[in-house]
This record gives sequence, C-alpha cells and structure tokens, in this order.
Amino acid sequence: MRIAVCLKYVPDPGTIEVDPLTGLIAADRLLYMLNPADESALELALRLRPPQGTVTVFNVGPVEADRLLQEALAAGADAAVRVWDSAISSTKPMITTILLAAALRAAELPDLVLCGGHSVDRGSGTVPALLAEHLGWPVVTEVTQFEMQPDELQSGRMRVQRRLARGARAESEVTLPAILGLETGLVHLRQASLPSLMRVKHTPIPLYGLEELGLSPQDLHFPAMTLHEVMPPRPRARVMFTPDCHRSAPERVAQILSAGVAGKAGQILDSGTPEQQADAIIDFLRQHGFLEKSP
Amino acid sequence: MTALPAKEQFDVIVVGAGPAGSAAALLSARAGLKVLLLERGEYPGAKNVSGAVFYGSAILNQLIPNWWEQAPVERYICRRDIAFMSPTTAVALDFRCAGSGYATAPYNGFSVLRPKFDRWLAAQAEAAGAFLLTSAVVDDVLWDDGRVVGVRVRREQGEIYGKVVIACDGVNSFLAKKAGLQREFHAHELSLGVKEVIGLDPAIIQDRFHLTGNEGIAFEYLGAITEDVHGGAFLYTNRDSLSLGVIGQVSSLVERRKRPYELLERFKAHPAVAPLVRGGKLREYSAHLIPESGWAMQPKLYTDGLLVAGDAAGFCLAAGLYLEGMNYAIQSGLAAAETAIAACRRGNFSARSLAVYRKHLKQRHVSTDFRAYRHAPSFVNGPRLQNLYPEMIARSMEQIFRVDGAPKRKILPLAYRMVRQSEIRPGQLLRDAYQVARAYLW
Repeated sequence: MRIAVCLKYVPDPGTIEVDPLTGLIAADRLLYMLNPADESALELALRLRPPQGTVTVFNVGPVEADRLLQEALAAGADAAVRVWDSAISSTKPMITTILLAAALRAAELPDLVLCGGHSVDRGSGTVPALLAEHLGWPVVTEVTQFEMQPDELQSGRMRVQRRLARGARAESEVTLPAILGLETGLVHLRQASLPSLMRVKHTPIPLYGLEELGLSPQDLHFPAMTLHEVMPPRPRARVMFTPDCHRSAPERVAQILSAGVAGKAGQILDSGTPEQQADAIIDFLRQHGFLEKSP
Repeated sequence: MTALPAKEQFDVIVVGAGPAGSAAALLSARAGLKVLLLERGEYPGAKNVSGAVFYGSAILNQLIPNWWEQAPVERYICRRDIAFMSPTTAVALDFRCAGSGYATAPYNGFSVLRPKFDRWLAAQAEAAGAFLLTSAVVDDVLWDDGRVVGVRVRREQGEIYGKVVIACDGVNSFLAKKAGLQREFHAHELSLGVKEVIGLDPAIIQDRFHLTGNEGIAFEYLGAITEDVHGGAFLYTNRDSLSLGVIGQVSSLVERRKRPYELLERFKAHPAVAPLVRGGKLREYSAHLIPESGWAMQPKLYTDGLLVAGDAAGFCLAAGLYLEGMNYAIQSGLAAAETAIAACRRGNFSARSLAVYRKHLKQRHVSTDFRAYRHAPSFVNGPRLQNLYPEMIARSMEQIFRVDGAPKRKILPLAYRMVRQSEIRPGQLLRDAYQVARAYLW
C-alpha cells in the first residue's frame, strides 16, 4: 500500500509579530513550521503503513520547505517530493491542488492521500476536496479516526469516522483510492532519533518544476476569485442621545442626566391606519438612534 | 542519500551556537576537522540575549575579512557615554571619535541584535563545513575511562562521540558542572540583566542622539538608577530601535526584594532617559544572567577531552569602564579551536595535551585581561562604586552649578560635606581610592 501525505509549510503563529512602526507583520522574525493538522496526518500515515507499504510526503513551497521534508524523512517517511517553480506566484488552494495532483500523478498515483484538513495560516479547508476533484477520487473531510483491517487491505476499503456538529460522529466506509482530510491535533508526530536527524540533514529533496509535471503557467491561471483588500471590521456609527433643543437648559440637563429615562413618557398610537402607526414607530426609533436614518 | 555510520565520530563537538561556539566551530572546520555544532534553540541565537554591543570587530575581521558588509549589524559605535546619576540629575562623560578604527574599517564595535547576528555567525561556521544541528538539547557528557568522549542529546539514540568536546553552553554551563569543572555559583557572582528593544524611526534616532548615517552610541549609567540594588543600566542605538536595560546583582535583588522590571521602569522614567525613549514602541523583552565575577568564578578550563569557552568559562568582563563579553567569547572560542586542532594533530586528547589552551588564551589576551582586572569586579560591582559614588558625583555637580544667593563653596569643602553627609568613613574612602587605582591604573 502506498500512502501520500501533503505537508504545508506555515508560519508559526507564536512568532507572528506586528512591527509597531510599520503596522505590517515582521516577515524577518517569522519562523516556519509544519502545519499541525499535517503533522497528525504524517504520524497516522506512518502508523498505518503496512510492512511493504511506503509513505511519500509532498509539499508545494519554496526551497526553505526542504527542512520540513527532511524532518519528515527523519521521522520515518520513505520519500519526499517538493514542487516549486519560479512561475508559481501564489499558493492559493486552487493552484496548490493542481500542482499536487500533477505531482501525485508524476510519482505514480498512491492508494491513499492524507491531508491536514485546515492549515493554521490560510485555513480555507478546501485542499482535500479540490484535490479529489482533480483526481476524480472520493474524499472524506473532518476525519477524526480511520482504521484498516488486513482483509480490508485486500478489498481496498477503509472505515472512517467523521466529526459532525455538536460532538456527533459518523461512521462511514470509503473505497480506495481516496483522499482523507484530517482534523487538527489527533496525534503528535514522533520525535526523530538523533542518527536519522543527522542523516537527513544534507539529503537532497527531489524538486518538480512545471516542466517535470507537464504543466504550463497557463494551467495555473485561475482568475476565478481575486482578493482585492483585507479590511478590519468597522462598527456602524451609533447616534448619540441628544436632548430636545426646544426645552430650557435645566430640562435638557435633566434629560441628559436621566440617561434617557425622562424622555420615556411615551405616546399611545391609537389613531390612524396600521401603516401610519408603523411609520410613526419607525420614525420614533430613527429619531432616538435605534435605526439608521434613511440616506 | 549520504548515509553516515551508526557510531558517528566527530573530531570536535561544540555545544552551543553562540559567538564562542560558532567561532570555535568555524576555525576547527576551516582546519579540516569534522565538526558538529549543537544548538538547543530552533535556530542559533533563538535563546541568546545580551546588550548587545559587539566590541572586537577587528578580531572577527581577521577571521572573516570585512565581515560587517555581510553580517546583520545595526550601527557602528563611535560614541560612548558614561553617566553618573542621582534620582534627578545626570553627569555624563561623553566620548566621540570620528577617527580611524572607530568610524572607519575595521571599526571598534557594532550594536547587533543577537538572534540575527548569532544566526549569521553560525551560518558562517556551517559554510566552512561544520555540521549544525538545531533543536538539540545536550543532557550529559559521555565518559569512557575517565575522559569525556562525547555528549548525550535529548533524543532517541542521542549519544554522539567526538574526540574533543568544547562546551560553549553559556553562563550556567551544564556541561562544565557535569564534568566537575565548575562549582555552584553564589548569588553575588551573578547579575540579572533585563532588557527591552524599543522601536524608533531611524531619522528620530539620528536627530535625538546627534548621529549621522550609520553611527551609533552606547550609554552606560551608574548611580541611583537601580536604587539600592548593586548594578547599572545601558542604552544602545540600533538601526531602527534602541536596546536598553538594567543590570542588577542577583543577591542584592533578592535581599532588597526588588523586581528587575520595576527597576527598568524607573530607569525609563528617569529625566535623563525618558526623552531618549519617548515615542518608542516596545518590540521585545528579554532577560539573562551575566557572569560578572570574572576571574573569581572561572572554572577549571579543561579536562580530558573537554574544553570550556565563552560565558561558560566566565569570560565576561564587567568592570565598570568595560562591559564586554562577546569579544572574549569569540577569542576564547578561537583559542579552544586552536587547542583542539593541535590536539587532533597530535592525536592526544588528555588534559595534559589540552593544557595548551591556557597558552592560547594568553596569546589572545583573554586570560591576561581577566587577570589584570581580577580585582575590579568584586568591588566595582559593590554598592559604593556602582551606586554611592556616582550618585555623590551627580549631587556635587548639582551643588556646584546651583546659584541661590548662598555663598559659593569651593570643591574641597563641598566634597568634605558630601562625605560627611553620607555614611562613609574617611578610611573607607581612602581604601576605595586605592582599590580603584589598583584596578585601573597599574
């Protein structure tokens, strides 16, 4: 059985600092790490691997990500592949999955692909589904557990537990080849032994560019959704209570000090059509700042 | 895949990728030795803290010509200020040099940010051929037949063997203690430094500190700044930030029940310091122990198969006028590497063979400097010199410059009154004067 694990190289949230002078994230202070959900995926793949099986790890990322793949090798993965090309300008899920699908094909399609369900940086949670679309395979997301009996290995079926809302779980079965999107924090990755850590330090990681994958930059052109701007949420302006300017000064002061209580003498709408009464209520609410004034 | 044999044997294992460790690894790797450089942090410098001004640019220049052109340095230090403080007054000695060696290559010193600088220096060692392993905590030394033959890293199958181990694992050196070279420290031998890095626009820094271009200044403060805790304070300019901090002797911090960050807040609020840091934004906060006792806390520097360098060997000169550590760390690291190279050439790693370390330290003026200033730390770091006298100087200046209709006093009667008001006995004063003279003059 051949298992593939997709690993993402993400900034460690603990090292994200906003430079107080520029207001931007200080890129030179960021440290990168293996995405925690992918860490679970790798460990589960290593545990699942049967004696004749292999675990191959894949990454779409710049050369700095080699360190992460080397660590995966030290932990016990059999092979690693990194995909990168100078023509790759973004790592949106859509583009990443096209590259991953091509890389999986180039390295001979596996029986099972494990992905972390969500990354800590972008967290779109779409990679397993998009990858399944490109490969035409079944996908199970939000997986909390999966197991495989030896007889199931023969028949190519696998039992999977999914997380549902409010703590419910769904038990299901999937036919291989398939893609699983795993929850974060299921298990921790084993610690590599010192000799294996030293062995992988200078291990070269095979790099697949667009040419090796049989892709052209055109294949990565997906203008379907473009991010224009990220804005902080801005609360809607609220109208402050202002006392009635026709009243005398002591009355206005009393109105302010009463915090609106004095103004609640009220008015009983007992005449007019229901429409007029409704309009009167809306006017009242607008006047007192509970509704936005019509432009 | 290049597989290494299971029982990998290195020529030199350097523990700790600070300035001492990286310098030792760099020089040994250049000599063609098989070097392993171990670092407990995620990257070299991740856990390292100091002021940080790196004096001794010329030393590194011999190793890596024009190193400042490629290294992440902040500003070259061509101004130094020593200020004597009372709670409201500061009297400063201002030194500025635009001459050669200070404002021109090879420069005298640079302010640096340790996480960047240490990372760069370790990368140089790696480029020279040293094998750098991070996230590797060393738990113990391995013994065989009474000599050190390697270290144990906190991992599965973590034993690594080497012909020489160089311990550069910092002030509270675990390895030196495990190897029985270092005793437990006394609280009065250590100081605690707390430091903040405060972000400030480079243009403001230039204006505020009267600097042009990439010039930098180093301030050192003595006197009332730490109240009754024995210690001082510093402020250094970086490219777009200030490093400032307070140093307090551990024993007196405990005795006086003072919290270091309270002292730091007081320091920042002092009228002479507040305008310098005004408008700055806090970027980082850190703390570290400093081995201030120099000569007195030096461990045995070598045993069979093991050498000790850097802070681990107490090579930090904190003697009033001088506050230097990184230069001695590099020098001692280089001396340890020279010793290891010679031992590898002879194939003899016994303590007797490694004893040339002392000679190399002398040649690099490390042990000679520490010997020369051996009398300084014990009383420079004492209450009178670090706190009382500086404060008296500041108060005297206050009196001298004051015009309030009272008759002017000449300096000698003024000083006499100052001494009378404080609780110093004249004998003590003479003794201190003699000690200052002995420490600095001859």
